[in-house]
Amino acid sequence: MNPLVQPDPGLFIWTIVTFLTLLALLTKFAWKPLLAALQERQDRIRASLDDAKRATEEMERLRRESAEIIRQAHVEAAAIVTSIRADGERLREEMKGKARAEAAAIVAAAERQIQAEALRARHEVRREAVELSVAIASKLLRRNISVEDNRVMIDEMIGSLGRH
Amino acid sequence: MVDYVSQDHAPAAHPESFDAGKVIIEHVSNSGLDHPLIHFPLVFGIDLSVTKHVMMLWIVALVILVVTIVSVRRYLRQDRLVPTGFMNALEAVVLFVRDSMVEPNVGRKWTSVWTPLVLTFFLFILCANAIGLIPIFEVAGLLDRFVLHTDHESFLNRALHGGATATANFNVTAGLAIITFFAVILAGTKANGFIQHWKNLVPSGLAWPIYILLIPIELMGMLVRPFALTMRLAANMTGGHIAILAILSFVFLFAEMAGQSFVGIGVGLAFSVPIAVAITALEMIVVLVQAYVFALLSAVFIGMAIHAHH
Repeated sequence: MNPLVQPDPGLFIWTIVTFLTLLALLTKFAWKPLLAALQERQDRIRASLDDAKRATEEMERLRRESAEIIRQAHVEAAAIVTSIRADGERLREEMKGKARAEAAAIVAAAERQIQAEALRARHEVRREAVELSVAIASKLLRRNISVEDNRVMIDEMIGSLGRH
Repeated sequence: MVDYVSQDHAPAAHPESFDAGKVIIEHVSNSGLDHPLIHFPLVFGIDLSVTKHVMMLWIVALVILVVTIVSVRRYLRQDRLVPTGFMNALEAVVLFVRDSMVEPNVGRKWTSVWTPLVLTFFLFILCANAIGLIPIFEVAGLLDRFVLHTDHESFLNRALHGGATATANFNVTAGLAIITFFAVILAGTKANGFIQHWKNLVPSGLAWPIYILLIPIELMGMLVRPFALTMRLAANMTGGHIAILAILSFVFLFAEMAGQSFVGIGVGLAFSVPIAVAITALEMIVVLVQAYVFALLSAVFIGMAIHAHH
């Protein structure tokens, strides 16, 4: 028989034995640990990429948040400045109004006092005039004075009034 | 068979009658069981003596075993898994087999179970194919003839007989295909249960007369697949070698025809060597493709048993 088509059960069996032995040894000592390591590395790379992505997203979120916070702070600061400015303005107006009112009150009080003083002085003058009139009258009554004397005396009296 | 192997086959030894056919067959077939490298007694009528192809299988297995385990161990011993040197290539092969051959066919769930088998098929067949392209024994034969002059019955001299490509022998490829055959049954049984696996062989819910036709066809298909694996690999590995040897035979045929050795050398330099180089280059592709095809088809058949879509 042509050796190319010669059945050889021995070789057939040796092939199976050799291959299965090789398969068993390689599986135990090479493929299982290697495939496990490759799988683990793959998982780790995937996890790292996920982590990196999450970190980037987190950073982006924080950046956006901080930008928002800064923007809000700006707005708030502007609002505070505006309100303080308004308060100041209002306070100034208030103070101004109050001062004006006080000044007016002081002026009014002074005027009132002056009027009162003037009135009192007029009363005083009138009372003194009456007292003098009474004194003159009594003097006139005690001494028999003539019309002439009386006139002189009234003149003196008026003269003294004028001196007052 | 005795006629083919018991005679001294070297062309130079018979310058007066060069039989190209005999020489070619001698160079691609196994060494004879009557001249084994290591003789073993019969076991149940089977001669388990170690022939050239058994030795080649052992050499290939040993080389793969040592190289792979050493590189993988060295790789896994590091605290950071950085592949270097040969490990780069091995890792690429492992990932390719896992992600492009096994996973698409058997599915994610069974990938880790069947990757070792397909990976071993691929590496073993690839190396067994490739070692046949390296003229180790031709160089050893030259050394023996002109330098060492060992005895005719020495181990080296006996090891020179027969082809170096074990996968060109259909007994070897049948051995590998039978492993695929049982792996398919095992895969189907593990995935679907023993009874369901055999039920999956034919579609359910057909009229009974169709089954009379279908069951034998499907059973035949089950057996044809490993047969096709066997023949495809063996024939491809044999074919290229025969082509190279036939073209190189022109050197001796022309020398014999002209009666002048320089005519043969001229034909060799002008025609045989360039063509043989070209065919060898083609063979390098075939070696890779056939290893890939065998491993891929094994993965496909295993996947078909796991996902029986009827």
